[in-house]
Amino acid sequence: MKPARTLLLSLLAATAVVASVTLVAAQGPGPLADPKSENQAGFPTDLYSWVIPPDNPQTPAKIALGKALFFDDRLSADGKISCDHCHAPAKGFTDQLPTSMGIRAQFGQRNAPTILNAVFNVTQFWDGRAPTLEAQVQGPVTNPVEMGMKSTDDAVAKIKAIPEYQKQFQDVFGHDVTFADIGRAIASYERTQLAFDSPFDKFIGGDQSAISDSAKRGWSIFNGKGRCMSCHGWNPTQPLFTDQKFHNIGVSAHNANFVPLARKALDTLGKSGGGEQEIDKLAIGTDMSGLGRFLVTKQPHDIGAFRTMSLRNLLVTQPYFHDGSQVTLWDTIDHYNKGGVQNPYLDGGIVPLGLSEAEEDDLVAFLASLTSPEYAQPAKEEYDLQFKRSRTDRPQRDTAAANGDKGHGPGLAGPFGDIGPAQTSENPALLGGD
Amino acid sequence: MAARHKSVETKYMEDREAVLRGLRGLDRRTFLKVLAATTGAVMAKSLMPPHSFQLVEVANAAPDKTASAAGMPGKPPFTFAYVSDTHLYQRTLNQRFVRAAVKAVDDVNALDPQPDFVLFGGDLAQLGRREELDLGMQILAEVKAPVKMMVGEHDWFYDLGDTWQEMFGPPNYSFDWKGVHVVVLMSVHEKDFWTARKMTPAERMHTVAGLDNGIQSRFEVGDDERKWLSADLAKVPHTTPLLVFSHSPLYKYYRNWNFWTDDAEQVQTILKPYQHVTVIHGHTHQMLYNQIGNISFYGMLSTAWPWPYAPTGLPPLTIQMNRADPFDQFDGLGDGRINARADGLADKIYSLWDRNPVTVKADYLVSHGKTARPPAPQFASY
Amino acid sequence: MTRRSIALATAAGCAAIFAAVAHAPRLCAQQAPPLPVHQVPDSKNGGTVVMLCDGKTSVEVKGLKPGESMTHAQAVEVTRELMAQWQREHPNEKWEMAKTVQSSQPIPAPPPASGADAAAKATGAKLQSKGTQQGDTYASFTDRDYKVWKNETDNFVAEGKQLFHDGAAIGGTIGVSCDMCHPDASNTHPETYPKYQVQLQRVALLRDMIDWCIENPVKGKALDPNDTRLRALEAYILAQRKGVALDYGKH
Repeated sequence: MKPARTLLLSLLAATAVVASVTLVAAQGPGPLADPKSENQAGFPTDLYSWVIPPDNPQTPAKIALGKALFFDDRLSADGKISCDHCHAPAKGFTDQLPTSMGIRAQFGQRNAPTILNAVFNVTQFWDGRAPTLEAQVQGPVTNPVEMGMKSTDDAVAKIKAIPEYQKQFQDVFGHDVTFADIGRAIASYERTQLAFDSPFDKFIGGDQSAISDSAKRGWSIFNGKGRCMSCHGWNPTQPLFTDQKFHNIGVSAHNANFVPLARKALDTLGKSGGGEQEIDKLAIGTDMSGLGRFLVTKQPHDIGAFRTMSLRNLLVTQPYFHDGSQVTLWDTIDHYNKGGVQNPYLDGGIVPLGLSEAEEDDLVAFLASLTSPEYAQPAKEEYDLQFKRSRTDRPQRDTAAANGDKGHGPGLAGPFGDIGPAQTSENPALLGGD
Repeated sequence: MAARHKSVETKYMEDREAVLRGLRGLDRRTFLKVLAATTGAVMAKSLMPPHSFQLVEVANAAPDKTASAAGMPGKPPFTFAYVSDTHLYQRTLNQRFVRAAVKAVDDVNALDPQPDFVLFGGDLAQLGRREELDLGMQILAEVKAPVKMMVGEHDWFYDLGDTWQEMFGPPNYSFDWKGVHVVVLMSVHEKDFWTARKMTPAERMHTVAGLDNGIQSRFEVGDDERKWLSADLAKVPHTTPLLVFSHSPLYKYYRNWNFWTDDAEQVQTILKPYQHVTVIHGHTHQMLYNQIGNISFYGMLSTAWPWPYAPTGLPPLTIQMNRADPFDQFDGLGDGRINARADGLADKIYSLWDRNPVTVKADYLVSHGKTARPPAPQFASY
Repeated sequence: MTRRSIALATAAGCAAIFAAVAHAPRLCAQQAPPLPVHQVPDSKNGGTVVMLCDGKTSVEVKGLKPGESMTHAQAVEVTRELMAQWQREHPNEKWEMAKTVQSSQPIPAPPPASGADAAAKATGAKLQSKGTQQGDTYASFTDRDYKVWKNETDNFVAEGKQLFHDGAAIGGTIGVSCDMCHPDASNTHPETYPKYQVQLQRVALLRDMIDWCIENPVKGKALDPNDTRLRALEAYILAQRKGVALDYGKH
């Protein structure tokens, strides 16, 4: 996507968001914002019991308080930006923008990750700089280009001044408002956003007719030739399609010169390596954002590495990657198919895949089958849009690279890894559910 | 601005294009000239204060307390890097190892300050063919610092070293660097197992290239080269720190896989009178270290594939590296640096790709494990 | 099956099989030749004959037409009779019993966490402690990872256990299930494969013998090597022999 066009699109969409927020304030956030049932096909009961922190148990009152805070724009400095500004329920708890717009129409550097199933994330943010949902809350509230509060104390003072909140905090926590409790309440609400029950979950449960033959072929490619499963891991215990780890797949190599940028980051953060808030500012507000996980660990192998995201409900959380740089699922698959974007820190698992057009279509059909029922309609519309676009506009497609014969001299293959022979593995989709 | 900006992607592609296409005609003289030209610049650069994006190096760049506390006059400390065991096939056959070798070159070129030199630890080629060695030389020509070449058995046993020597000169040599005497050995001679079996050069090479066949002979430095070593050291005072590079470990680790040098004890005897001796070796493709008397040994990582630890004979001081993940072609591989300290000892930094680097301090080895214990793996070898 | 009878047959059949393998190694690696099928004697009374895996011991189920299912009670009686007959013929052989307590590796104790890490640890976010080789991406695992692995492994084994006790679920037609002859997967000796298997007159893997049993005493159709049921049965049988040293070719 060309920069100028991105900006225009972003601005248009941002206006829409602002409009919808005003509407929400009047009418309430709607049924998509309600806490979700655990009674969903594919719901990971064991995992869920492990991830609710003992020091912040789920209670209805706390969830209700968290929900009120989540949709309350008074949590921002100018009283215009609430959490759902960038994590709108109707948009899969994202803003469907390449990167998010915060206070005073400032754009950050990162694509808003969804709240759906965030309860299961081992770390939060694209670079894992927050260990928990509770700790994550502070980032956007005090980030100058997001909600713009000067400090957590300011946020507490502002919330404390609202009588209803004063009472609710007393009821839920037994004491006055603290920022840690704001975090606890919002985290508790976020933990109710459970998104399973997709056609794929029903297929795994034994309903062979739940997904199309194309999606079944896609599931097979996902497990085999596409090498997707190794990072976007799925199993019945942890059916999230993520390994919860960080990989450099080359997305920020499009516009980041890693070595000088890494030096600059170390200079900026100083010998201590910076606290969470300093890292947050660099990640959201500067070109050093492209360094990803490196900002947190300072390890060269983490340069340009970002967290593996879940693949559920992708058709309502577009655009894709940490910078929202890819518009369609075909673009993201084209990106992987050509072996990512070459850079000295590219993950060793990223190699050309040699997927055909038909195989890419099958993979997208599989990804589409990961849509939860409440988003079925918008996902279908988005699928149709993306499909149409993918027939004519494929900026990331590089068939020569994908097939491992990008030329470096006559008849010579490219220097970036071998492409394996086409796998003829049995289609696990046809072997019955697990 | 966006149009003028050359992304890393573009620059990287262009660089590789130049390496792999433009330098086809590079001969040994050109190769060596490239090294000579950069030496001055690198030496000047190493006077600049340390400024690296690798925090581990910042930590290690702290003043050497051991040396200053002991009040040693000392020699200037220096750092060199290594790349080893690239095992390049002809590039039409295998791109994987090419990709890894290129990554290693990028890695050492990103070091700031630059290392004084880069040691290549042997096994540049997989089957000793000229095309393989040519490709290796072209890739190594991209290294900014001077390169010191060592030979491995994969470079040697197709034509018994003819091509390698034509390209890189004699396989054993020595030089002095900032108060340290550096010796490069050819430690992978084998006794003739091929003539009686009427093997072709290719069969001989294939036999040596495998670990678990019982046919080949054990590696040795050999009588002639040990004599050369004694003569070379005759003029070196025993107080001078020695750095010895050998492809095979200069001790006996596991005979069946030739993780072994048959005349290791005789070589150790020659090195015995020296106060500080550090041996850096390739061949074993794993984090490996050992201390025998006055001699500290460090194994180098490979860029091509990791080897599991042998079933027996692992030096007790070695703390294994994490088991590699086969999904990631770079896991368990890497390159590394050696900090030659003012007190004559040498620390080793294993720059494991896709893992955090692991530093092994000489203090750990010379104290026989009493201090400075390196981190343990989460998953040791099975 | 008995060690003795297999040992006798091995001497005779070994050379021929090895010769065949040497000539067709690729065929062998890709696809095993079809299994030999035991000729079960015809019933004299129009009933069904059930044969033990030794290819000799057999019992007739009176009144059971081919294709009909036995009741569970009938099946228990048939297997009891088969085993009794086998024991009479082999008074000196012992039916190896398996250990019963089974679980995959216990979850390793988490490394000691420092105070600053306590919050992260509560949600399983903690990576391993200092003093351990690190790296976020490869071979760095959280407590949760260990739990997921254990859960998945134990579930797989449990699924196998369930199938092992349910003849119909693996395509059996006469009510015979694996556990009748192999309680707790006893005498399945997975650690002795590959070995020469007399019933098959060739070298077999564990999965070949599972399929043989499914075809013969269980009277079902052999499962495809990729069938999740065959994989689960294999998982259960292997899990029951945890801690036993591999000893291929043992009779």
